[in-house]
Amino acid sequence: MATVREKGYSHWEGRLEERRFPWWPITRTGILLAFRKKRFKFLFAGAFFPAIVALVGLYVSERLDDFKAFVQGSDRLIDIGPKYFASYFLSDWLVFMILLVLAYGAGGLIADDLKHSSLQLYFSRPLGKKDYLVGKMAVIAFFVLIFTAVPGLVLVVFKLIFAGSFEFFLLYPWLPLSILGYAALLTAFFGFYVLLLSALSKNSRYVFVLTFGTYTFSSVLYGILNGIFRAPSMALFSIPANLQQAKALLFGLKPPHDVPAAWSLAVLAGICALSAVVLGRKTRSVEVIK
Amino acid sequence: MSIEVKDLSFRYGKIVALDGVSMSLGQGAVGLLGPNGAGKSTLLRILLGFLVPDRGQGRVLGYDIRREQALIRRSVGYMPESDCFIAGMDAVTFTAYFGELSGMPRQEAMKRAHEVLFYVGLGESRYRLLDTYSAGMKQRLKLAQALVHDPRLLFLDEPTSNLDPTGRMEVLELIRDISSNKSVQVLLSSHILDDIEALCESVVILKLGRVAAEGRMADLRALDFALYELRVKGEAGAFRQDLEGLGARVNETEDGLIKVYLPEAGDRMDIFRAAARTGVQVRAFVRSRTSLEDLFAGVVGAD
Repeated sequence: MATVREKGYSHWEGRLEERRFPWWPITRTGILLAFRKKRFKFLFAGAFFPAIVALVGLYVSERLDDFKAFVQGSDRLIDIGPKYFASYFLSDWLVFMILLVLAYGAGGLIADDLKHSSLQLYFSRPLGKKDYLVGKMAVIAFFVLIFTAVPGLVLVVFKLIFAGSFEFFLLYPWLPLSILGYAALLTAFFGFYVLLLSALSKNSRYVFVLTFGTYTFSSVLYGILNGIFRAPSMALFSIPANLQQAKALLFGLKPPHDVPAAWSLAVLAGICALSAVVLGRKTRSVEVIK
Repeated sequence: MSIEVKDLSFRYGKIVALDGVSMSLGQGAVGLLGPNGAGKSTLLRILLGFLVPDRGQGRVLGYDIRREQALIRRSVGYMPESDCFIAGMDAVTFTAYFGELSGMPRQEAMKRAHEVLFYVGLGESRYRLLDTYSAGMKQRLKLAQALVHDPRLLFLDEPTSNLDPTGRMEVLELIRDISSNKSVQVLLSSHILDDIEALCESVVILKLGRVAAEGRMADLRALDFALYELRVKGEAGAFRQDLEGLGARVNETEDGLIKVYLPEAGDRMDIFRAAARTGVQVRAFVRSRTSLEDLFAGVVGAD
């Protein structure tokens, strides 16, 4: 180790700024730290696979003449409409990859700070609890939006480019808003969901398991309860089912379960509200009892 | 005054951590001393705004501890007692990160991080992952992150814990340099008396959440009692009782050295009179300089 005072202490001549977004360094660092993890870049790239498949589908549907050989008895290979975009958003692969990226890259956002007692360092800075949580949530927002809103809007643009006309846009002018709305809903839900689980443990591996486990278990629970009670309202116990209901509402589609979509939205909002309360209690600068 | 608090009280549930603490701390290095559970860390956390006091008020560098916490944290550097770092980061990124969170521009924070890491002796290992740092290196790193934004006031909570003797001396030297030559005020919380004695000009001693003694070290040493060290031949029990009857406090070490803390108003000849009364011979008698340990033992009641 080097000896002490290789260089003398000198005062810093600059002036501390009051930031407009004090949480931004937390977000930027959170994203960079996720990319420093082993294999994370592969996961990140893999999460774009559904978007690439959807893009190929768009191209094929608009360049039908080039792909006539594949079409038998139909004038359209793929029907491109709101349902096509909605199916992209809740494809099993996309949701799986989003969960994987979040569990692996963002599961330790709070858990690691709890494990290494670094919350007190954050709060010894001019940061509030709100800044800290917003900074962490923005990391999740980055990953969710980059896999949902960005590809969704890019797909719409490519649809227009491949079609060479604005007909599709005039037919479904609300589609970009639906895409943004659903991406925002996924962002808010996964933001609270992952941060809640991250705040419940000091071990990011447990958080990884919890993130997948809770999501999957809710579906299993729905299956069991539905088998016993034969009631469509049991779908409210399932996170994937509630997200499907919300998606149907936002894309103007028929809900897959015979339950008002507003109820599903209420359940999702309830989970977010509960998470906010727990996060408020768990993120403290001082651990009173050790 | 850099820190001024009045009637501060705080409870963790039913446990009273601070009970009516009032003090005024001026320039230089100030030691915050007390046994475990005395309320030292709680006081630091209240001054930083981590905890809101149940009662009382206070100002740090002129900022109100209840309403202007952000301004306090901007001007104060805090080195916590427990190990704290961010996994997956190297030291320079870590230090710059907290500089940036304090309000430094990103480039400036990075430049300054290099400087303070060299200063605390981590210059050569500044690109190493923190996960691989030893306990001593983490301790220096905590000091670096506390210094990165060039605070006017430093709160150091047990800064020499986990350090080997050489590392301890080096960190003490750093703290002395910062507090004496660099016009950074230091509030040093510790239960290691030697650390406080080596660094601080004044001290606040807490006992069970209350201020047991406060003032300049030199004044406190001289204020209350005179210390005499003696060896006797004969039955020391009766001799001790006689001295205690005169208002002196008497401690005996394992090797038979008797320390007599005589009240300021007392006369040293009283010791010889007591020896004569109880039939013991005084074989050695030395007027000793009172140490912080003696002061601490006197006010806290520990031997």
